[in-house]
Amino acid sequence: MKFLCVPCDSPMKLQTVGPPDRGSLSVVYACPECGYEMAMLTNAYETQLVQSLGVRIGPDAATAAPASGKCPFTTMVPQTEGAPAKTADPMTVRWTAAAEARLANVPEFVRPMARLGIEKYAREQGALEVDEKMLDAARDFFGM
Amino acid sequence: MKSYHDIVGDGGSRILEQVAEQRARIADGLAGVRHLVAIGSGKGGVGKSTLTLHLAGALRARGLRVAILDADFNGPSQARMAGVQEAVFIPPPSPDGFGGARGGKVALPRTSNGIGVFSIGSLIPESAALDFESTAQGESHTWRATKEFALLGEILGGFEWGALDLLLFDLPPGAERTVQYADYLGSRASFVLVTIPSEVARGVVARSADALAKGSHRVLGYVENMSGYYCRDCQAVKPLFPSTDRSSLDIPCLGSVPFDPELARLCDSGIPLAGMPDTPVSRALDHVAQQLLDTLEPSQ
Repeated sequence: MKFLCVPCDSPMKLQTVGPPDRGSLSVVYACPECGYEMAMLTNAYETQLVQSLGVRIGPDAATAAPASGKCPFTTMVPQTEGAPAKTADPMTVRWTAAAEARLANVPEFVRPMARLGIEKYAREQGALEVDEKMLDAARDFFGM
Repeated sequence: MKSYHDIVGDGGSRILEQVAEQRARIADGLAGVRHLVAIGSGKGGVGKSTLTLHLAGALRARGLRVAILDADFNGPSQARMAGVQEAVFIPPPSPDGFGGARGGKVALPRTSNGIGVFSIGSLIPESAALDFESTAQGESHTWRATKEFALLGEILGGFEWGALDLLLFDLPPGAERTVQYADYLGSRASFVLVTIPSEVARGVVARSADALAKGSHRVLGYVENMSGYYCRDCQAVKPLFPSTDRSSLDIPCLGSVPFDPELARLCDSGIPLAGMPDTPVSRALDHVAQQLLDTLEPSQ
């Protein structure tokens, strides 16, 4: 979708994207010629249609709020056997910043299961911290 | 007044740009795959998933590099059958993040005989239905298929498919879904349709073949699954369906595979079929594998 400032016959530029509000996005465009601003307010269907493409909306799509919300499987993961309890647990596995950074390399929908699997492996090794060495060891252990 | 096509760019939403980036990531991820083969039918319950796994095993036994993508997101069965339900996904070592220039691909779970398998069944328990967060809950008919194909794109672009001879797609049922996958995968993909010896199934498969032909998609042929059942006691293949004159499908037959209760038991137990004993069923699967390879690469 593109927007045209009719008096100036000039394409309008996206300025800001407001956070989702009850399924609606507020996307502000401005004319670079006359400065006129307008807002596109999407309904839930329009918002979802764009989100379903797996894209993000915004002037800087790489850092904008994810269009697709959180991982689609997050709510299902706790049902998986071996999922850690949400309350404080002395057996909680910590992740170093470097290991967390590597976890961010995993597609969002796989991340919860990747975290669970590595933490289970770490516990089996008697460790309560996941660092990069642990990730490499797991990769070797599982033959990947 | 300017028209849509007079305006360069999209004013900053970057939606088209991101879709193009997704496609580039997928093409990059599949660059090392020689053949994309989708196993579909249109009809449910004809044994697509079982045949896909067994065919992968027969191809693997020939020394080929094979992986399976279980594209039946709503009824995934490959994770259980291939024994990768408890697979562990290891974060990749690439420092530049998922989708970055240097990859950041996640290693595929593998069966004990070396077949890479991606299945949603490795991510969610069998007791849970696949669900997506949505701003339009209760209206999934308006967006769900699009979302599932975006997920397929993430899987294709996010996992390390590497150098493969064949990537087999285990498609969901539905003639319309078969065509949607064909459109999504494009001209690189070829299709094998699975039927069983019943007029009802052949009718649905004929519709799928016709729909694929209308889109100029390459259909390699069909496999008649459950063409009888293999009795291990008497070591003979006996009829499973009434013998009648069946209508023909206007595509090549790649072979017929009898039903074997023992293989069904192994599938339920997630026991890979490495070193399958020499039976009429294993010979039939090997024949289908050979026919498939001959059709894909006629000169060899």
